[in-house]
Amino acid sequence: MFTKINDMVSGFVSILKGLAVTGKNMFRKPVTIQYPFEKPAMTARFRGLVDLYPEKCIACSQCVKICPTAALALETTTNPQTKKRAAAVFTYNGELCCFCGLCQEVCPTAAMYMNKCYEVAYYAHDDLTKIDLLKADKYAHLAPPKVKEQKT
Amino acid sequence: MDFEELIINMGPQHPSTHGVLFLQLKLDGEVVVDCQPHIGYLHRSIEKIAENRTLVQFVPFTDRLDYIASMNNNVGFCLAAEKLLGISAPPRAQYLRVIVAELNRVASHLLAIGTFAQDLGAYATPLFYALRDREKVVQIFDQLCGQRLTYDYVRVGGVSGDLPPGVDQLIRDFIAYERRMLAEYHDLLTGNVIFCARSRNIGVLSKEAAVNYGVTGTNLRASGVAWDVRKDEPYLVYDKFDFKVITGQKGDSWDRYDVRMREIEESLKIIEQALGGLPEGDPVAKVNKVFRLTGETYMRTENPRGELGFYLVGDGGPLPYRLKIRAPSFSNLSVLPYLVRGLNISDTVCVLGSLDIVMGEIDR
Repeated sequence: MFTKINDMVSGFVSILKGLAVTGKNMFRKPVTIQYPFEKPAMTARFRGLVDLYPEKCIACSQCVKICPTAALALETTTNPQTKKRAAAVFTYNGELCCFCGLCQEVCPTAAMYMNKCYEVAYYAHDDLTKIDLLKADKYAHLAPPKVKEQKT
Repeated sequence: MDFEELIINMGPQHPSTHGVLFLQLKLDGEVVVDCQPHIGYLHRSIEKIAENRTLVQFVPFTDRLDYIASMNNNVGFCLAAEKLLGISAPPRAQYLRVIVAELNRVASHLLAIGTFAQDLGAYATPLFYALRDREKVVQIFDQLCGQRLTYDYVRVGGVSGDLPPGVDQLIRDFIAYERRMLAEYHDLLTGNVIFCARSRNIGVLSKEAAVNYGVTGTNLRASGVAWDVRKDEPYLVYDKFDFKVITGQKGDSWDRYDVRMREIEESLKIIEQALGGLPEGDPVAKVNKVFRLTGETYMRTENPRGELGFYLVGDGGPLPYRLKIRAPSFSNLSVLPYLVRGLNISDTVCVLGSLDIVMGEIDR
């Protein structure tokens, strides 16, 4: 009998303690953000989709060699006068990409980098599988509608 | 009246099976007579993929083994690769590896505690608190390496980048914050009578059974065996830090929870010491190297879930001849049928939650 009452009292106290923890959280600042309307700022090292400064690229194809999932494909041409190699076709398959960042690390001229784009929803496979890295507005079709940015 | 045993399928899509695990339960009324786990739904043949990738290329794949604790997998694989090649990372990289591995251990244990409480019926509240705290670690990793889940931070021969300015202060803030929050967890869960009643004396794993089944990590220590690879076979710079090997007494679900809670404190202690003694130097690895792999090696490290081993064989070429991964969750899951015989269905969920398995590394 005594142990039963004891159990009831200690159980009641422990539940009150738990409720106090929950109650404390009512007065804390919310940690969530209203995502589609507010967006967190991406960090400096954030690894989004692979991007390229075509004028910096020397077509050394080190990024193609290191890519673990073969997401990059490069065809080169050589200028007959200057004997310099240049990228003729440079395609990136965003569906194969595992966002490891090895390509931007091996790039000797820092031509390859990863942008801050993380919203990669698309309507057709070709929108993401056949991205021409030499084009200037390669991700224009993936860009989401503009909403206000929020710092966290 | 005639009573028959009933076979029911729990999973593969079930909220309490922590991934795509399929349990075939043989029931006598509410009591589990036998349990057979069926695995393989998440199989991606990562070991075979390793035979076609150089060591540097394979590091991103180790993120996909135990996706809750990617950093620890990175560390384990890179240490195995370095052992095979006979190289070692610069001291600053070793300290940074310890810091990220322990931060990820804290994050992993938090998630384990949160989901365990949810399995016991504490609907969402502890899980959301745990996720809130885990988010702080994830944000630190986001600043450090640019990803939130598949970090690929540790590299063969070092790490991919030094601490960005301000991040060491973030980590110090997190340590102070987490110590405050742990007190709240104790108020919310450890003292809760319902939580105790649901988990005490459920799924008791004896010392002998734990050793015989090859159970490692927190589950083994909860059974009272003081075995921690960080202490007993120190790798990196763990021998320089002062921390305790936490053990439980009985080996029931409650002990497994309690060991995790207390291990978080020890991990915070290690991070604090490592930040304090962080040596100067360049920790960044040169990645574009072709290695010739010869011989074989086995390296084991302490994952949040147990002993993670990489067995690496080279035949003179740049690609490994064979890579075998010893996944701790696989052995920890194998003990489940032994534990749940004679328990109720709801207690099966409790035992499974307390074992803290990740299907990503079981199926590989």
